[in-house]
Amino acid sequence: MAELARPAEEYSGGPRAGAPLPPVPLLGFVIATAAVIFIAVLTYRTLQTRSAASARVARTIQVMDELQAVLSFAKDTETGQRGFLLTGEESYLEPYTNARVALRPEIARVRDLLVDDPVEQQRLDALEEVINAKLAELESTIVRRRSGDVAGALGLVRTGRGKIYMERIRALVGQMETTERTALSTRERDWQNAEQLSSNVTFGGSAMLLLLITAAAYMASRDYRARRIQAWLRLGQMAFTRSIQGEHRLEALGESVLAFLGHYLGASVGAAYMAEGSGQFRRFAGYALDNADQEVIRPGEGLLGQAAKEHRPLHVKSVPPGYLPVVSATGRADARELLIAPAVANGSVHALLELGFFRQIQPEDEELLARTSEALAVAVRSSRDRTRLTELLEETQQQGEELQMQQEELRVNNEELEVQSRTLKDSQAQLESQQVELEQSNSQLQQQTQILEYQKDELESAQAILAQRAADLERANQYKSEFLANMSHELRTPLNSSLILAKILSENRAGNLSPEQVRYAQTISSAGNDLLTIINDILDLSKIEAGKVELAVETVALSRVLDTLTKTFQPVAQQRGLGFSVSLAPGTPERLQTDAQRLGQILKNLISNALKFTEQGEVSVQVSPGASHSVQFAVRDTGIGISEHQQNIIFDAFRQADGSTHRRYGGTGLGLTISKDLARLLGGEIQVASIPGTGSVFTLTLPQSLSDAAAAPAATISGAVASAGQTPRRLPAEIAGAPSAAAVPRQPTALSGWGTPAPASIEDDSLQLKADSPLIVVVEDDATFATILRDMTRELGFQCVVAHTAADGLAAVATYRPKAVLLDMHLPDSSGLSVLDQLKRNPHLRHIPVHVVSVADHSQEALALGAVGYALKPVKREELVDGLRKLEAKFSAGLRRVLVVEDDERQSDSIRELLQIGDVQITASRNAADALQRLREMTFDCIVLDLNLPDVSGYELLQRMAEQDEVAFPPVIVYTGRSLTRDEEQALRRFSRSIIIKDARSPERLLDEVTLFLHQVESKLPLDRQRMLQTARNREAALEDRRILVVEDDVRNIFALSSLLEPKGAVVQIARNGREALEALTASSARGAEPIDLVLMDIMMPEMDGLTAMREIRKRPEWKKLPIIALTAKAMRDDQERCLAAGASDYIAKPLDVEKLLSLVRVWMPK
Amino acid sequence: MDAEIERARPDNDIEQQLLIEAIFQKYHYDFRHYAAATMKRRLTAAMVALGSPTLSQLQDRIIHEPDAFGTVLDYLTVPVSEMFRDPGFFRSLREKVVPVLRTYPSLKFWVAGCSTGEEVYSLAILLREEGLLQRTLIYATDINPQTLKKAEAGMYAVDRIAGFTENHHKSGARTSLSDYYTAAYGRAVFDKSLREHVVFCDHSLATDSVFAEVQVISCRNVLIYFNRELQDRAIGLFRESLCHRGFLGIGAKESLRFCAHAQAFTELAREDRLYQKRDPA
Repeated sequence: MAELARPAEEYSGGPRAGAPLPPVPLLGFVIATAAVIFIAVLTYRTLQTRSAASARVARTIQVMDELQAVLSFAKDTETGQRGFLLTGEESYLEPYTNARVALRPEIARVRDLLVDDPVEQQRLDALEEVINAKLAELESTIVRRRSGDVAGALGLVRTGRGKIYMERIRALVGQMETTERTALSTRERDWQNAEQLSSNVTFGGSAMLLLLITAAAYMASRDYRARRIQAWLRLGQMAFTRSIQGEHRLEALGESVLAFLGHYLGASVGAAYMAEGSGQFRRFAGYALDNADQEVIRPGEGLLGQAAKEHRPLHVKSVPPGYLPVVSATGRADARELLIAPAVANGSVHALLELGFFRQIQPEDEELLARTSEALAVAVRSSRDRTRLTELLEETQQQGEELQMQQEELRVNNEELEVQSRTLKDSQAQLESQQVELEQSNSQLQQQTQILEYQKDELESAQAILAQRAADLERANQYKSEFLANMSHELRTPLNSSLILAKILSENRAGNLSPEQVRYAQTISSAGNDLLTIINDILDLSKIEAGKVELAVETVALSRVLDTLTKTFQPVAQQRGLGFSVSLAPGTPERLQTDAQRLGQILKNLISNALKFTEQGEVSVQVSPGASHSVQFAVRDTGIGISEHQQNIIFDAFRQADGSTHRRYGGTGLGLTISKDLARLLGGEIQVASIPGTGSVFTLTLPQSLSDAAAAPAATISGAVASAGQTPRRLPAEIAGAPSAAAVPRQPTALSGWGTPAPASIEDDSLQLKADSPLIVVVEDDATFATILRDMTRELGFQCVVAHTAADGLAAVATYRPKAVLLDMHLPDSSGLSVLDQLKRNPHLRHIPVHVVSVADHSQEALALGAVGYALKPVKREELVDGLRKLEAKFSAGLRRVLVVEDDERQSDSIRELLQIGDVQITASRNAADALQRLREMTFDCIVLDLNLPDVSGYELLQRMAEQDEVAFPPVIVYTGRSLTRDEEQALRRFSRSIIIKDARSPERLLDEVTLFLHQVESKLPLDRQRMLQTARNREAALEDRRILVVEDDVRNIFALSSLLEPKGAVVQIARNGREALEALTASSARGAEPIDLVLMDIMMPEMDGLTAMREIRKRPEWKKLPIIALTAKAMRDDQERCLAAGASDYIAKPLDVEKLLSLVRVWMPK
Repeated sequence: MDAEIERARPDNDIEQQLLIEAIFQKYHYDFRHYAAATMKRRLTAAMVALGSPTLSQLQDRIIHEPDAFGTVLDYLTVPVSEMFRDPGFFRSLREKVVPVLRTYPSLKFWVAGCSTGEEVYSLAILLREEGLLQRTLIYATDINPQTLKKAEAGMYAVDRIAGFTENHHKSGARTSLSDYYTAAYGRAVFDKSLREHVVFCDHSLATDSVFAEVQVISCRNVLIYFNRELQDRAIGLFRESLCHRGFLGIGAKESLRFCAHAQAFTELAREDRLYQKRDPA
């Protein structure tokens, strides 16, 4: 606004509006005019005076001349008269007449000339009178003469009157002349005075005019100069305004202002400062300026500050040397004078201008600066306002942008939700239609259900009848068993006596019997013995079936058993013309732990059977070691053989291979049944292989040792007719109380003391177990369902072992240590619950997850006992799959062991309490020595370690663990109440992946971390890490004892790199940032220290980043060739180029590729 | 008019795509997976600012004048931030996360897309209040080196401080915000000692990979500028970088719900968009 006001002011006094000239020149002109008028008047007056004086002088002279003329005329008249008088001649009268005529006008002329002099007038009057008188006298004379009275005339002349008159005339004229002469001198003096005055006036006037002209010239010149300055200023202002016009950026504004002023004012150097609020000024532009000068001026600081404070320009004339140097490419010089102008607008300083000159500063320079600085202030202010506005606008735009994006995000999310809800709606519609369909089929089903129900009712009633019958049958069966037992007893008693008597008779002690009679007696005895065998068989079978067999387990020498057999059967075979041999394969154990009598019974049975069915050839018994600590007795014959389909039934009670066989060979047919049952009782089995017509092999397989305990569950083994649940409760008590394999060597079978499982009737994987896939034991008595379960488990990638009874099941679990168990509740020999109970009580087996599948609902109890799941039969396939998956999830966790090393008992207990979840087994250790001992004894999945231990510190313990090769190094969780320094933490990080500081939330985290480690098996590690572990397992000559400095602050990477490089034999040194790396390198290059061979350098690090560190390293000549491999998370080409530029020898991008890193290290490792 | 726009649109899209590709090729800034809408708006603003009538001309300038690219970059990255923004987030952080953080001997934070650093200083102040700053390192990353420089300076206009203070107070502050800054010459400079625990670094969520294992990641109001694909990539990086049970904070209008990694996180504070990494099941 201010710059507009000025022209307005200037033009307000326009030509039409006021004085034609400014007041001072006007006054000058007025004075000059007055002076000229004055001089003119004065000159005129002087001239006037002079001319008056001169006129008077001239008149006086004329008067005198006239007076002389009068006098002369008077004389002439007298002369004429005299001449006439004398002569009388008229010609002498001529002067008289002439004078007389001329005298009067002459006097009138004098009178005229003296008109203003009364004194002279009077004299003139007197003169005239005298003259008249004279003339009259003359006349009278003349007249007389004429008249010829010469005498009278002469008389008159002689009277003297004429002379008197003449004298009077002369006196009067003399008087008048004197007066006139006096007047003339006065007049001449006057004239001289007037002339003096006139020249004075002329000189004075000239001088004054000269003065005025000089003044006018001076003023005109001044005015002209002022106008030129004004024009210059205006031009400057205009140019200045032009130069700042349209310039919005402050820097450019400053530059153009300075450039303009420098040019326009001829300033040699300049700087522009901008107010920054709170009175501080910052330089924003320079002109020929040395950049080293200060950038920021504080209020009142220095000249600039002073100028800013006072709001007025400062003109500094003697600038101290070096204050504002002018710099050019060729040199520098100091400005001579300095001008500092604050740019003020609205009373506040917006900018400061500082200009240095080599010349003297003129006021107009200051003026221009003052005027332009104001414009500058306005420009700076508006530029800043504009900048601020732009900023605000930009900010608003950005906020708008963010809002818009947020909206967009919401909209996208909304759309997703809509899509989801649409999908939901769709599926809902689908569901609805399905529901309708379902409803329809439901009603159909209902009808069918009704029919089915009806059928079911019928079936049920039939079933009830059947059940009744079954119960009847069972009862009958029982009666039968009891009857048989009783009957055989009843039979045996009389038979006994008849046998004894027959024996006595046959001995014929008295000798009174004929040989025939003796033979009869022998026949009676023999037949009785046969009968007894039959009765014993029946009795045995019923006993076995009734579960009343007691086993007497003892150590049996195999040789003795075989001797007995040879002794017994050699004669029989000989008798029948057959060969009989017994052989013992090498490697067969010498002793068995079993019931000798039952073993003999089985073998006898088999051998006698073999002998019985063999017409020719031989019977051999071969004893050899079997699989998994068992012994096999193979009874081989060359008899009739058994057809395949009969092989299945020969072991059934009361059945023989062929109806005809019975007739031909006799026997009860119970032998094999009993043998089979007994074999099972002894923890073994009998298998048959036969080719009809060629012979058969019956193989009895028995475990090397049958512990006492095994007898009990085995005792309940039953055939199809045995009553289940007869002694269900007895079992667990017996098993639980049984000493756990004290006397037997450590092996899977012995651990549980549950013997070896009998092979199942259906084919399973027990004979071809593979180590690599997980195993599931299925305990299920129903062969069909067992098959289904087996197939299903196989389908899901498990191996499967099937057991049909509780005992077999327990034995199978103990033997195979499966990953999981599928358990039926309803088992022939015992309740599934008891199996579950026993499994869960056994410390070695309790971790195995059990899933129950049953017809009866014991879910509560089963789950209470620790089953993972429960499915009610009939189960759907999906449920089973689901159950299996659940099992899988569970066993993949498996039993985990945690070692808690903590000296404080309460703390230890609380940790134990905390971690006592699922299948975690916790071992507590109070000190380091104990912990090491335990680590030697057992493998742990995880260690929770307190750092404060009574013997050595936790850290030392970790170091010792690392040193000892025989001690496994599980993941360590440091659980400490101490806060750790960075160095401590780093030292621990080499051994421990997780450090927990005790605090309010630490138990939660401990549990979390422990769970994590327990469930993290090697196969679950990321592939890369796994490969890293694998590759890391071999040492490498190239890296052996080489020192690698790993500069990295991320624990994960430090861990990975150490575990990659250290096993290769390299010595890894850690630095957490560039500064530490430099320190480490300095330390390593000291005399006697181990030098560092290679550096792995991370880029993003605190304190000093990798790039800076590399540059620093490369500055030292001795490290110029040190190989540095940069590890960078940045993927772009120029990032990597930046690494190389900073001094990296090579780079590798994160995430690290192990092999690539190793080969890089190999490549760069100095040879 | 509408038809004209309709006809103009494809050209515009082509130009935009080419420009973004050019930026990637020349300067390695990858905006190719940024939300197209925001790119369009920001580029339009940049066009106006640089006085280029078309995107192609803008592209010409960007390729031949690195300085012009700097200006455009400022337009493409939207630095809108304030201290203790959404105080509820910080309150949740204080109440739900800090107690767990106390159990770590040392801590790492990652502020991804830190812009001009307000978030970084807020976290640093919060951690100092909770006595955890001493053991913490904050990685503050952004793709724009200019804004990073501003963040590093930690200097904000005094007139913004009032808002900051109010937010700070609402976040459950234990101290006064004024303890942490010095105001002079119209600006408030934050305490240098806060910065000792911060590493400012140029890092792109679009191209770069994970650089450290951290306990807490704050990436608020960054994902909104990404398309779904890039969001997934970024969250994948966070997932990889976070330690077991680490924490992730995102912007109030953002969600992990539709992201490919949604299953890897559990909601810790739904309203405040605070998530915790799940078990690696």
